[in-house]
Amino acid sequence: MTELTSHDTAARGSFPNVSPLWVGIAVVAASVLIPGFSGNQYWSYSFTLVALYTAVAVFQNILMSEAGQFSLGQGVIFGVGAVTAASLTTLFGYPYWLSAIGGFVAGLLMGALYAGPALRVQGYYLGFVTLSAALVFPQLVIAFDSVTGGVNGVPVYVGALVTPIVGTLTPLSLLAIALAVGALSLHYVFPKTRLGRKMIVSSVSTESAQSLGTNPGVIRFIAFLIAAAGTALAGILYVPLIGFVGPTNFRVDFSVLFFLAVIVGGQGKLLAPILGIWIVYLVPNVLLADFSHLRLMIYGLVALFVMLVFPDGLVGSIEKWWTARRPADTRTSFSLQDVFDALPETAGEGAASQDDRPLVSVRGATKYFGNAVALDGAGLDIRQGTIHGLVGPNGSGKTTMLNAVSGFLKLDSGAVRLFDHDVVAMPAWKRARLGLARTFQTPRIFEALSIRDNIRIGAEGHGGAQNSGFMEALATRDLPWLDRNPSLLPHGQRRLLEILRVLESDAPVILLDEPAGGLSAEERKDLARLLVHFRDKIGKTILLVEHDLSMVWQVADDITVMELGTVAAQGAPDEIRNDANVKKLFTGV
Amino acid sequence: MTIVELVLILVRGLGQGAIFALIAMSLNVIASASSILNFAVGALMVLAGVGAYMILPSDPTLFGWIMAGLLIALGMGVFGFLQGGLTLIPLKSSVEQHSWLITTMAVSIIIGAGIHLFGGSLAFRVPSPIPPVTIYSTTTPTAYLLLIVLAVAVYLCLKWFHSRTYIGLAMSAVAQDLDASKAAGINVRRVQLASFSLAGVVLGLTGHIGAPVINISADTGIGYLLSGFTAAVVGGMGNNLGALVGGAMVGVLSMFAAYQFGGIYQDSVTMGLLILVLMIRPEGIFGLAAARKV
Amino acid sequence: MLKVTNLHAGYGRMPILHGVDLAVPAGEITLVLGPNGAGKSTLLRSIGGFIRPTEGKVSLDGKDITGRAPDRMVSEGLRLVLDGHRVFPQLSVRDNLRLGVADRSEDYAARLGDVFGVFPVLEERLDQAASSLSGGQQQMLALAQAFLARPRVLLVDEPSLGIAQMLVPTILNFLRSWADKGTAVLLVEQRIDIAVPFADSVSVLRGGKIALSGPASDFTDVGEIERVYLEGAD
Repeated sequence: MTELTSHDTAARGSFPNVSPLWVGIAVVAASVLIPGFSGNQYWSYSFTLVALYTAVAVFQNILMSEAGQFSLGQGVIFGVGAVTAASLTTLFGYPYWLSAIGGFVAGLLMGALYAGPALRVQGYYLGFVTLSAALVFPQLVIAFDSVTGGVNGVPVYVGALVTPIVGTLTPLSLLAIALAVGALSLHYVFPKTRLGRKMIVSSVSTESAQSLGTNPGVIRFIAFLIAAAGTALAGILYVPLIGFVGPTNFRVDFSVLFFLAVIVGGQGKLLAPILGIWIVYLVPNVLLADFSHLRLMIYGLVALFVMLVFPDGLVGSIEKWWTARRPADTRTSFSLQDVFDALPETAGEGAASQDDRPLVSVRGATKYFGNAVALDGAGLDIRQGTIHGLVGPNGSGKTTMLNAVSGFLKLDSGAVRLFDHDVVAMPAWKRARLGLARTFQTPRIFEALSIRDNIRIGAEGHGGAQNSGFMEALATRDLPWLDRNPSLLPHGQRRLLEILRVLESDAPVILLDEPAGGLSAEERKDLARLLVHFRDKIGKTILLVEHDLSMVWQVADDITVMELGTVAAQGAPDEIRNDANVKKLFTGV
Repeated sequence: MTIVELVLILVRGLGQGAIFALIAMSLNVIASASSILNFAVGALMVLAGVGAYMILPSDPTLFGWIMAGLLIALGMGVFGFLQGGLTLIPLKSSVEQHSWLITTMAVSIIIGAGIHLFGGSLAFRVPSPIPPVTIYSTTTPTAYLLLIVLAVAVYLCLKWFHSRTYIGLAMSAVAQDLDASKAAGINVRRVQLASFSLAGVVLGLTGHIGAPVINISADTGIGYLLSGFTAAVVGGMGNNLGALVGGAMVGVLSMFAAYQFGGIYQDSVTMGLLILVLMIRPEGIFGLAAARKV
Repeated sequence: MLKVTNLHAGYGRMPILHGVDLAVPAGEITLVLGPNGAGKSTLLRSIGGFIRPTEGKVSLDGKDITGRAPDRMVSEGLRLVLDGHRVFPQLSVRDNLRLGVADRSEDYAARLGDVFGVFPVLEERLDQAASSLSGGQQQMLALAQAFLARPRVLLVDEPSLGIAQMLVPTILNFLRSWADKGTAVLLVEQRIDIAVPFADSVSVLRGGKIALSGPASDFTDVGEIERVYLEGAD
C-alpha cells in the first residue's frame, strides 16, 4: 500500500494527468454543493438522492467487476436498510441513530443471504435468485404490515439531519457526498489492496485463486458483505432525505436501476456509476419530469441503445476510443536478464539435502470420466530438488495426473501424499498452502493488474508471511516494465510471467502444465535456463508436463512416461530414451 | 381442507402451472440453441394477452377467436425473430457476455412500459368464447383446461420438431456440440434466430389462450418470467419434459400458498422453491449435467 | 486443389502456426504428421474457418476463402471432420447422417447406399442413439456424415485416435477410395506407421512449421521423421 502512488499513473487508457478519482469527487461534490449554496431546494434534494444512488451503483460496480458477482437485487439491501431504519424510528420510537444501526445490520444480513446461493450457483442463476428477491421484497413489506407500516408506508422526520446549514445545504447532503466519495475512493484503492487482488483473481479464474491458496467462496462472501455495507448505508440515509418509506419505493425496477446504471456507464470503470445514474435516473426522472409516464420507456431504450452502440458502456467506449486514437505502444516486454539478475540463490539447503525422500508421491491413482478411463492405477514419486518430466501421447492422462496432485480433481481411488501428508481429501487451496504452486496450459494473466501485481499475487494466498524476496529484489531495480499492463505482453512472456509468479510464492514444489506450448525456440531456451536455475540455485522441486520431448530430455532428472492412464516407463532420461516401447508410443514405429 | 378445495387448487394450479411450463419451454428452446436466457419471455406472453384484448370483441365467436389466435401467434413469431436479431447483433463482434442479458432485459422493460402507456396500470380483461365448466361443483374457466392441453401439445410438437425436421435437428445438434454443428455446415446464427421465432409463437399462443386467466398488465411479465424460470430449473434446464413437470409443481404449490396464506405470498413461495432446488439439486429433477456456472 | 500459403494462426494470444505452406491436390491424400502440440489441429481448424488466421492465405481452386465462417466453408465444398469422433450423441444414427446435408437432393438415397456399402454397421444401427456406438463406429458415422455432403476437399483430424486398432485400416481405406474418386483429402495423424502407406504425399509439422515434406514413397525409412519428432527441428 505504501507504493500506491508510485504506479497508479501507469494504468493504461486513463486520461493523462487527471486521475479519474478527482474527477469523480469533484463532480459529486459540486453537484450537491452548488445547488445547496445557491439555495435551490429542488436541485439540492435531487442531487443528494443522486449521490446516494451513485454510492449504491459504485458498490454494485465493485461487486460486478472486481468480484465477478452478478446481482440484480441490490435495491433489496437498500430497501431492507431503509425500511428497518424507518420502522424502528417511527413505529417503535427509537432514536434515528440507533435505528440506523439496526438498518445497517439488517442490510448486512440481507447481503449474507445473497452470498449463500452465490456459493452454490453463479452467473444468471444468481441473477434470477436476486431478481426474485427484488420482486418479492415489496410484497413482503406489505404482508408484514405490523412491523413495516405495510402498504401505507412510514413517515420519518429527522430534524437534525434535514435542517439547512447554509442555503439549502443540509448535514444530510454532506453525509451523502461523504458516502459517494468514500465509495469512489474505496473502488479506486481496492484493486491495489491484497484483498482486492485476491477478489480479482477469484473472479477471473477460481482455479487460479485456489492454486494460489485462496478459498474463492470466502472471497465471494466478503464481496457481498462489502457491497451490502455500502448499500445499506445509502439506504439508511435515504430515510430522512425522502421522509417517507413504503413498498412502492422499492419495486423491481429500482433494483434493476443500479445494475443498468453500471452497464450503461461501463462495467469496471471508476466513473461509470456517476454517468450511469445520471443517464438512467437523473435524465428520465428529473430533467424529463414532465414526461414521467415515459420514464420506464426511456430507461429501457437507453439500456438497449447503449448495449447495441457502446457495448463496453459509455465510459468504457470513450476510454477505448481515446487509447485507439493515441499512437499507443502496441507491445511491451520485460527483460529476462533483469529477472535473472534478481533471482535469489538459496541453493545450499535445497541441493545439499537432496535425499531420496519424495516430496510428492502418488499411488494407484484411478479416475474414470463416465466410461472413459483417464487414470488407471498410475503412480509417481517426485524426489526433492529434481525436475521430474511427465510425458505421453495426447489423452494419456498427464494433465489428469497433475490435477490429481494439485487437488483440482477428485480421484476415484488411490493415494496422494504431499510433504508426507495424506492430502487425498484436501481441497486445492489448502494443498497450495502446504507449499504447492502450479501453472496452467493457458497462462492465467490478470489484465486488471500490473505486471508487478501479477507476480506479487504468487505469495499472497499463503498468508503473506513467506515470499521468496524475488519481488523485493526486482523492485529495488527501478524497472519500468514492472508497472505496465500485461495485456500487451506477447504470449511467450505471458508464460514466463506466470512462472515468475509461481517463483514468488516460495512454494518448494512447482507443477508446470506444458510451459513450452506456443513458445519460440529462443523462448524455450530461456525457459529451460530458468527451470535449471530454479532447481540448481534455488532448490525447487519441479513436475514438468510437456509435449516438447527435446526439452524434457535436456532438463529432467527423472521421467515418467504415461499411456492410457498407466505408467508405461519410469527412470532416468537415458534409460527412457532407448526404451523401444517408449519410442513406439511417440512415433508409432 | 375439503375435496372441493383440493380440486380447486389442483385444477387451477395445474392450469397456472401450464403457463409456467410453456414459458419454461420457450426459455429452453432459445437457451438450447444459443445459451441465451431470454429475460423478455414473461413480457412477451403478457404482450400477446394485450394483443388478444385489442383484437377480440366483447363476445367473440369461436371462429374469430381461433383466427385471432393464429394472427397473434404469427405476430409474436415475427416479434421473436426481430428480438432475436437485436439480441444477437452485439454478440457478433463483442465478447461482452452480459450483452444478451441487458438487451433482453431492456426489451422486457420496453414492452412493460409500452403496455403501461397503452393501458395504464390497470389489468386488461379478456373475454373467453367458451363458457366456464363445472368440475366437482367448482366453476373453472375453460382457459385453464385449454392451457393444460396447449402445454402438452406444445411439448409433443417440440419433440416432433426437434427430431423430425432439419432445422429442429440442427437446433438439437447445436445444443449438443457447437463445433461439430459448424463443421457439419449448420448456419448457427440462422438456427438461433429460428429458435427466437419459435419461442415467440409458443408465447403468442400461450398469451392468447390464457388471456382470460392471465394477469395482463404492465408489470406482471417479470413475475411470469420468474415462475417460468423456476419451472425450468426444477425440471432441469433444457429439458422440456422437466419443464412440464416443473411447471405443474410450481403452479400447484403457488396456488396452494395463495389459498392457504394469501395471494401476496405466491411469489415468495416460488422463490423459496427456486432457492431450494438450486441449493440441493441445481441440475433439476430431470437434469443430468450440473448447473452451468456461466 | 486446396492451397495454403504462409499460414499463421493461434488461439487467442498463443501463436501456434508460424507460416505453413501446403498444397492438397484433388484425387490425393496429403498426410500431415507431427508430434503432440505441433499444431496439427490448429492447422485444420484455421483452414476450416474455426480460427481466423492472423496472416496467410487459404484458397480453393484459385478462389480465396481465407477466414470464412465454417458453414460458408462447407458450402464452398470444404468439409472438416473434427478429432475425437465427434457425433451428436443424443441423436440417432439416421439423424446424424441427415444433418450431413441441409437439402436432401435426389441422389441422397444413392449416397446413403454407398455409405452403407462401406460401413454396414451404420445401417444396422440406424435408429440407435449415436452415443451407443463404439468409438470406431462413431468415427465411421462422422466420416459418413461428411461423405454425404460430397465435399471437394475433406480435412480429417486424427481419425485413428481412440478407436480400436482393427478398425483403422477400414477407415483409411474408405478415405483412399474417396480420394480416388477425385476428392482432395488432407489427413492429419500423430502416429507415423499407420497412415503413410495410404498417402500420396507426406509433410511433417513441428513447432508450427513444416519441417519435412515429400512424396509418400520417400518416407519408407522412418528414422528421419522419428528424429524430427524426438529431437526437434529447430
